[in-house]
Amino acid sequence: MKEKNKGNYISLRESRKIIKENVRQMKYYESLKRRKLDISEYTVPMKNPDNIVEIEDLETCFFTDTGTVKSVHGVSFDVPKNKVVGVVGESGCGKSVTSLSIMQLVQAPQGQVVGGQIRFNSSELGYDDKGRKLAYDIVRTPTQEMYNIRGKDISMIFQDPMTSLNPVFTIGYQLDEVSFLHRPNLSKAEIKEYSIEMLKKVGISMPEHTYKCYPHELSGGMRQRVMIAMALAGDPKLIIADEPTTALDVTIQAQILELLRELQRTQGCSIMLITHDLGVIAEMADEVVIMYAGRVIEKGTVHEIFHNPLHPYNIGLQKSKPLITSSVSEPLYSIPGQVPNPINLPDHCYFMNRCNRCMERCAGAYPEMRQVSPTHSVACHLYADVAAENKPQSASGGSKKKKTPFAKNRVKYIEERRIEQRGAK
Amino acid sequence: MNNEQPLLEVRGLKKYFVIDKTVFGRPTKYLKAVDNISFTLPRGKTLGVVGESGCGKTTLGRTIIRLYDTDGGEIIFEGTDISKIKRKKMIKYRTDIQFVFQDPYSSLPPRMTVGAIISEAVRVHKIVPKHEIHEYVLDIMKKCGLQPQYYDRYPHEFSGGQRQRICIARALAVKPKLVICDEPVSALDVSIQAQIINLLKELQDTMGLTYVFISHDLSVVKYITNQIMVMYLGNSMEFGDTAQIFENPLHPYTKALFSAVPVPDPDMKMNRIILEGDIPSPANPPKGCKFHTRCSECMSACKLKEPDYIEASPNHFVKCHLYNKEVMDNMAEYDAMYEEEVRNEQANAQKKKK
Repeated sequence: MKEKNKGNYISLRESRKIIKENVRQMKYYESLKRRKLDISEYTVPMKNPDNIVEIEDLETCFFTDTGTVKSVHGVSFDVPKNKVVGVVGESGCGKSVTSLSIMQLVQAPQGQVVGGQIRFNSSELGYDDKGRKLAYDIVRTPTQEMYNIRGKDISMIFQDPMTSLNPVFTIGYQLDEVSFLHRPNLSKAEIKEYSIEMLKKVGISMPEHTYKCYPHELSGGMRQRVMIAMALAGDPKLIIADEPTTALDVTIQAQILELLRELQRTQGCSIMLITHDLGVIAEMADEVVIMYAGRVIEKGTVHEIFHNPLHPYNIGLQKSKPLITSSVSEPLYSIPGQVPNPINLPDHCYFMNRCNRCMERCAGAYPEMRQVSPTHSVACHLYADVAAENKPQSASGGSKKKKTPFAKNRVKYIEERRIEQRGAK
Repeated sequence: MNNEQPLLEVRGLKKYFVIDKTVFGRPTKYLKAVDNISFTLPRGKTLGVVGESGCGKTTLGRTIIRLYDTDGGEIIFEGTDISKIKRKKMIKYRTDIQFVFQDPYSSLPPRMTVGAIISEAVRVHKIVPKHEIHEYVLDIMKKCGLQPQYYDRYPHEFSGGQRQRICIARALAVKPKLVICDEPVSALDVSIQAQIINLLKELQDTMGLTYVFISHDLSVVKYITNQIMVMYLGNSMEFGDTAQIFENPLHPYTKALFSAVPVPDPDMKMNRIILEGDIPSPANPPKGCKFHTRCSECMSACKLKEPDYIEASPNHFVKCHLYNKEVMDNMAEYDAMYEEEVRNEQANAQKKKK
């Protein structure tokens, strides 16, 4: 029994306490989403108007019965306009949750965004009095307002096309529904025309026929094409592709990637590509973000990530995959151990126990993101000295805000606002 | 060891599923999941079976261990044909051929402890005396990288990689000679994949195992196998040594398949052959060569005649007209035949209209 208590087992009393606390927290965060706000309260200036999305210190939690899971823990990265940003990581590293947070689609009420900012650069918003481009802060945007952004400005392609299409409606019906939402002033015939045009755009050879089909009549690749057509119907500025090719065969994967690349070029939108396949990333992405256990551990341009990998996890990941282009018969490099349990994560670097270049310092505080070159940064103690040398040259980008404690910053912000409003009245 | 006799030889193996019947139960339509497959697998080697989903690679694996009854052909295991022997006699061979399934989450019974899962087959087949079972199981667990304290735990307490180790330990507990691995790493993360692949390779060296490795991940297949069979719609399109096939792929499908694999190197721009369309329904395969609907080098002969399985170079088989001299020399004949057929079809269609 003693041995068991060491693990994830908790007593009934503890569990009850956790559940009670969870209910309180969830009620609080849900109430925040429903309240009515003035538009000025959820618009913030962009740091760089050339970015479409800026994510800063995003924190997303799941309140489970065994404890709070910090799925995304202080993630920051930018998605520039007309670029493909790849997010790589193992299962459970928080890459999908990050994307769902951008859409405000995290499984509520258990899952809640508890801190940070997601600035979405919408063309509907103008400039503030200082001449800075305004953007929606998706973390604070109420649900009602999100309906206007979701699907129209940001759309998403999910992993499994079968489960994301409704099996009892035809493809045409489902596509029309999307088109109608974003173009309410078109007539029915025009909507149909538009939907068929969308199907044509994604390379479906018989769009009129496919329009009348039910999802089960199509193959996996075709279904994924329909999903892409649906995502394109709102003319989005950002497409989030969450493992778009994982459920598909290699030959179909090549087709879909080719299609996505072409659409990105012709439509002039940004793509946030989430995958665990380094090969797909190398082919598609301009910039890469590598995540591990809810944190960004390395980010940079695709060349930096693949030709100059810095973080031991990144190096290990690339060494552990056998290549089709090389013929080696030595044992593969394998990263020992497993991903840590997301409940009660340690204070030190999460990769410490699996790392082959672990030092004394690693047992200390979690390493900060350090800039190694203007575009390349890594969260590892190994590069502390390199980053310090580089800092004066790129001081502007490297400065980092002092972090407010977990879950506090959002609460604080809202309370400050309340006081201000009361004062005004 | 007898080097001349291969461990496993498959000759013209067929597995048809009935998809349509008359009112009286006579089958009228078949789905040819595995159609006329032949290969030989020497002792201690690994055969990789690759192909897209729905090409029959899993059915092939399951037919070899007689989870499905064969509809023709022979499976010769150590000199005896096991394709038609009775159930009771088959028990003898069950311990020799073992299976590792794709999904470690659904292939372990949730109500049994790890020890019980691994020792069950040992007990049934009386591999070791009763009082030695516990130690024997612990030894197997150690070989597969499982710690002894896991003996009394349940599968849900483990991660995917650990579960796959349990599956492998269960398969190895009965001292098999041949292990059929059906996509053993595709449900796992990259960093865990390497651990499992290394484990499989290490076990092969220490225990002299022979593998049939079914996978769609070509880079893994290239790493672990000695021979490769490329399957498409139930047919073997190409068969040969791994190095030979990767160096010099002959069949257009193999070429396309290899070029479609994404390479984790941003500077590497491969000359990609992108196949048009999807894999046709196996219930309704195209006439002639099954690949002709997507082939970039399709000729009129491909639409008329199913290509033969020919040995293009020693121990390198390919099923394509491009490497058949007889067909290539008589191209004009086939062109004429095809034109005639098209004309006939058009005439028939017009007749029907009238």
